[in-house]
Amino acid sequence: MKAHKVIVVGDFGVGKTSLIRRYVLDVFSDQYRATLGVHLYKHTDTIPIAGTEEQVRLVLWDIEGAPLPGEQMMRYSLGASGAIVVGDLTRPDMAEPMRRAADMVEARLPGRPIGIALNKRDIAPAPDDASVAALKDRYGALIACTSAKTGDAVPNLFRDLTKRILGGKAGTV
Amino acid sequence: MSDGSTFDVQVLLEGARIVAVRIDDEMIVKEVVGDWCEIPVGEDVRDAVPALIGLEDELAQELPYIQMPFVSLGDSHETPVAISVQRDWKTEALWVLLRDVSEEAAVQERLVHQHNALSLAHRELAAARDAALMADNAKTRFLANVSHELRTPLNVVIGGASILRKPRETPLPVEDVLAFSNDIHDSGVLLLQLVDDLIDLSRAETGNLTIHEEWCQPSGIIDEMIRLTRGLAEAEGIVIAYHPSANTPEIYADPRRVKQILLNLLSNAVKVCKPGASIAVETSVAGSGDFVLIVRDDGPGMSEADLAIALEPFGQPNAETRARGTGLGLAIVRRLAALHQAEFSIETAPGEGLAAITRFPAERLAASAGR
Repeated sequence: MKAHKVIVVGDFGVGKTSLIRRYVLDVFSDQYRATLGVHLYKHTDTIPIAGTEEQVRLVLWDIEGAPLPGEQMMRYSLGASGAIVVGDLTRPDMAEPMRRAADMVEARLPGRPIGIALNKRDIAPAPDDASVAALKDRYGALIACTSAKTGDAVPNLFRDLTKRILGGKAGTV
Repeated sequence: MSDGSTFDVQVLLEGARIVAVRIDDEMIVKEVVGDWCEIPVGEDVRDAVPALIGLEDELAQELPYIQMPFVSLGDSHETPVAISVQRDWKTEALWVLLRDVSEEAAVQERLVHQHNALSLAHRELAAARDAALMADNAKTRFLANVSHELRTPLNVVIGGASILRKPRETPLPVEDVLAFSNDIHDSGVLLLQLVDDLIDLSRAETGNLTIHEEWCQPSGIIDEMIRLTRGLAEAEGIVIAYHPSANTPEIYADPRRVKQILLNLLSNAVKVCKPGASIAVETSVAGSGDFVLIVRDDGPGMSEADLAIALEPFGQPNAETRARGTGLGLAIVRRLAALHQAEFSIETAPGEGLAAITRFPAERLAASAGR
C-alpha cells in the first residue's frame, strides 16, 4: 500500500500540531509547544471511496511554523501529495501568512490538492462567506472551519483532502 | 562502510550515533553502518525512514539533494535526527545518513518556543494597543461632537438672553422679544433632548439601558406618537398617515421605549421632508410571524455612504437638518431595537424616500406566546 506525504503548513501557533494530533491520536492539549523542524506522524485511515472502504497510509508532516515560508518549509514540502494550510481565526492578520503559505504550496507542488483549515473555531466566529469564497476560488481548495480542541471538521478535512489526492471527489467541508 | 571513501570518513568522524543506510534503486536497504537504530537489511527504507516517502524522484537523481536538519516522529517522540542523502561517487551507492541531533534540538526548540511566544505576545499587545487607540479616538471624537452640539444651542441661549437683558433707551419691539424668547426656549428644549439622548446612549453603551416589558398594543402607541408629531409636520406642510394591519397584535415590549423609537423615526422623517411630502406608519405581521413596524417617507432619501454616517452617533449627513436635531436619534433607535431583539434596518436611495424598518421577533407577539 503506497503511503502519501501530506504537509501541514502555516504561521506558528495556529494549531498545526494540534490538528494533526486530533486527527491521528484524537487528543488535544492546551499547552503550546513550538515545533522544531518537522515532526512526522504515520497514520493509516479507512476512507470510503466510490462506495468501498479503502485503507490509506499517510505520512503527515507537521512543519515548523513561520509567518513567511522559509527555505526549510520549502525543502520539507518536496514530494508531498497534498497540503493543508492552517490559519488562526482569532488573529486579525490571519489571511496574509495563509496566502503566503498557500502560494508556496502552489509553486512547489503544482496541481496538488490544498486543504485550508480555518482553525480555533471554538473560540472565534466563522469568517464571512466572501472571504471563504475568495480563498476557495483562488486556490481551488477544500475549506473548513476547524477546531482541534473539539475535533469539529478535522477528520473530514484530512479525509476529503486524501480523496482528492487519490483522485476522488470530495465536497467542501 | 568499508571502502574508505571520503564520504564514509566524514560520517564516522561526526559521531558515534550515526546510521548510514545504503539503499538500492528499489529503495531496499542493502547495508547499515552505525550503532543506533534498527534498520533491517532487506527492508523498504521508507518503512524505517518515513521522511523519504514521496522523495523517490529526488532519490533517483544522480546527485540528490536532501537535507533535513530536524526530523522526529511526532507520535512516538523518537530522537530527532538530521537526515541527508548523498551518492557515493566511487560505488554509486546511495547513502542515507541519520544523525542524532537531540542536543541541538533541545536548545533550538527552547529558542524557537521563546521566539514564538514573544512574537505572539507582541502581536497581542499590538492588537490591544490598536484597539485602545481606536477606542481613545472614538472617545475624543465623541467628546468633540458633544461639545459642539452643546455649544450651538448654548450660544443661542446666551446670545438671545444678552440681547434681551441689555439696557437700552428704547425697548425692543415685542415681536423681537418674542422671537428671541422662542429661540431661547427651542434651544433649551434641544439641549434637554440632547442630554436625555446622551444619557440613553451612554446607558446603552455600558449595558445599563434597561427595558420594562409588558404586553402592549402598538396601534395605541402609534396613534399617540402621530398626534405628538402631527402639529410639527403640518406646520411644515407634511402629512402623516397610519396604515395598520388588520388585527394588529399585541407585542411584548417596553411601551415607553417603543414610543421613543417611533418618535425618533417620525421626527427624523419630518426634519428631512419638504412641504407637500407624506409620511406613513405601516404595521404588518410577516410570514415568519415577526411584527414589522415601518416608518416610510417620500423625502429626499440618502446614499449608502450618507446612511452609514446617519447611523453613527452624531452622524448628520444633511447640513439642513443639522441644526434641528442631536444626530443621536438613529443610534438610539438601533440600540433600543436590539434590546427587544428586534432587527432595525433602513431601505433608502437618493430621491426615493426612506423606510425605517423595525422587525420584532415572532416570540414577542401575543399569538406566538399563546395569549
